[in-house]
Amino acid sequence: MFYVRMFFQYVAQYMKTRLEYRADLVVEIFSDLLFQAVNLIFILVVFAHTDFLNGWNRDEIIFIYGFFLVPYALFSAFFNIWDFNERYIVKGEMDRILTRPIHSLFQIILERMELESLFGAITGLAVMFYAGSRLGLEVNWYDPLLFIVLVIGGVLVYAGIFVMIACISFWADARTSIMPMMYNIGNYGRYPVDIYNKVIRFVLTWVLPFAFVGVYPAAFFLGRDEWYVYSFLTPFMGLAFFGLSVYIWNEGVKRYRGAGN
Amino acid sequence: MNAIEVNGLRKEFKAYSSRPGLSGAFRDLFTRNYKIVPAVNDINFTVKQGEMVGYIGENGAGKSTTIKMLTGILTPTSGQVMVNGMNPHKERERFVQTIGVVFGQRSQLWWDIAVQESFRLLKKVYKVSDADYNEHMDHVIKTLDIEPLLDKPVRKLSLGQRMRCELAAALIHNPPLLFLDEPTIGLDVLVKLKIREFLKEINEKYNTTILLTTHDLTDIEALCERVIMLDEGNIIYDGALRSLKEKWGEGKEISFEFLERAELARLQTLTEDLGAKWEMDEKDQIFTALTGDDDEVISQVIARTVAAYKVRDVKINEPSTEEIIRNIYEKGMMHHG
Repeated sequence: MFYVRMFFQYVAQYMKTRLEYRADLVVEIFSDLLFQAVNLIFILVVFAHTDFLNGWNRDEIIFIYGFFLVPYALFSAFFNIWDFNERYIVKGEMDRILTRPIHSLFQIILERMELESLFGAITGLAVMFYAGSRLGLEVNWYDPLLFIVLVIGGVLVYAGIFVMIACISFWADARTSIMPMMYNIGNYGRYPVDIYNKVIRFVLTWVLPFAFVGVYPAAFFLGRDEWYVYSFLTPFMGLAFFGLSVYIWNEGVKRYRGAGN
Repeated sequence: MNAIEVNGLRKEFKAYSSRPGLSGAFRDLFTRNYKIVPAVNDINFTVKQGEMVGYIGENGAGKSTTIKMLTGILTPTSGQVMVNGMNPHKERERFVQTIGVVFGQRSQLWWDIAVQESFRLLKKVYKVSDADYNEHMDHVIKTLDIEPLLDKPVRKLSLGQRMRCELAAALIHNPPLLFLDEPTIGLDVLVKLKIREFLKEINEKYNTTILLTTHDLTDIEALCERVIMLDEGNIIYDGALRSLKEKWGEGKEISFEFLERAELARLQTLTEDLGAKWEMDEKDQIFTALTGDDDEVISQVIARTVAAYKVRDVKINEPSTEEIIRNIYEKGMMHHG
């Protein structure tokens, strides 16, 4: 309960800070929307040339992409930890975090949230509805519920992977360039994994399970029953990966060496 | 009750060294040379509730490392730490509720929002009730004189203003134990005085234990009766500031300025039996006698000198704490620990 209350406290604080710089906020919202619109057009253009990809038609691929955008938007809004090493380890901000009575990872999530990223979810939904209507998909009463569960699963998978990568900083003090690479790999989850070779498919399913953020859960809504097993595995993969990452994080915090003064 | 109990506390760091050249760099990829350096070397001490203790030492002596272990930021390599009856890194979230921390070089406040917004958020973080907050913080705000700063964003404050706000922020939950790491670094005298006054008051009013590290020994002199001195990770002195002076303060210096020409040799023979040593500053013609702490000897030296020469000025100097401490470090008094 305390954590929920703190979450809203920080959200309120974030809003206030944003409103202090009203001009910035307007510009940012505008550019975010513009960015999403460009994204949307880009997808349509790219997929205009492909009709079928290993048994998936154009609208299905667009639908998967739209689905992917939703957990990705949530992830970007709350897990801005790509500069964790720089900001918290090298500059020693972690010291401050550790002197406050809230779990350290949760504090960082609260401090670094960027709620503007949530606009991406709107684009995602728009893309899904566009593709879904062209495919003639029906919305059942339980679909929104499952959608929420699968999206949360996807967010947890994504977050788990990135938290684990951030944890490297606790063991190695050298700066790593793994983060940007991971963002690239993350994009592979947007496409049907059976277009890749077996090794990549295995990696995207079990090692860096980005497929659980895009194609697997989306397959459920597309009625692709050969993937259902994976679709329903999504929340469990999410919990497992995120749980593991929190465990590693807690171990890492014990090894935190602090920045010298 | 003891606020802090430390037993055989040790923290080791791995210090990596890189090999020279390209081939060295390549070998570093696989095996890196390192040696284990103890930053804090099996130290023991206890601090009673309500004490104000100065924790001093040169850069790299292990002060910050100790403080970070006491506040639960770092995990000790070995040894026991009990602070406020808890093990800091084991029960971190419950533990930090009972301490306040000010790191002089690091801000606790949110940079972009008004000071009072930071306070409000911290109040929620520490689950402080409105009644407690109002009663306690009204007083703190008044004493630190930060009322007019409350609606300004932190980035617009001067260092002195910010430090006062930091201090107030560390006290929002009225902790029984306060860690201050270089709280007066870079501050002007007036702000320093205000902060010292405030710390004394807090200590008296709430019996708050304060552990203070600083480079500015006047802070320690003004606040602490007890000092713990650290050198290369070992405690080399733990006791009253006053006895540190008595033990290490090497007597007094009496400086004379004469109206006429004086001779060093004559002064030396004059006070031979008193054990005074004379030195002369050629440029200013100032003669200095180094004596023990014995008042009798001092007055004898003065009496004999004045009888021999006409005097323009006499000064009796006691070495400052800073000089004493410099002395101790220079002589590396490890064996006196």
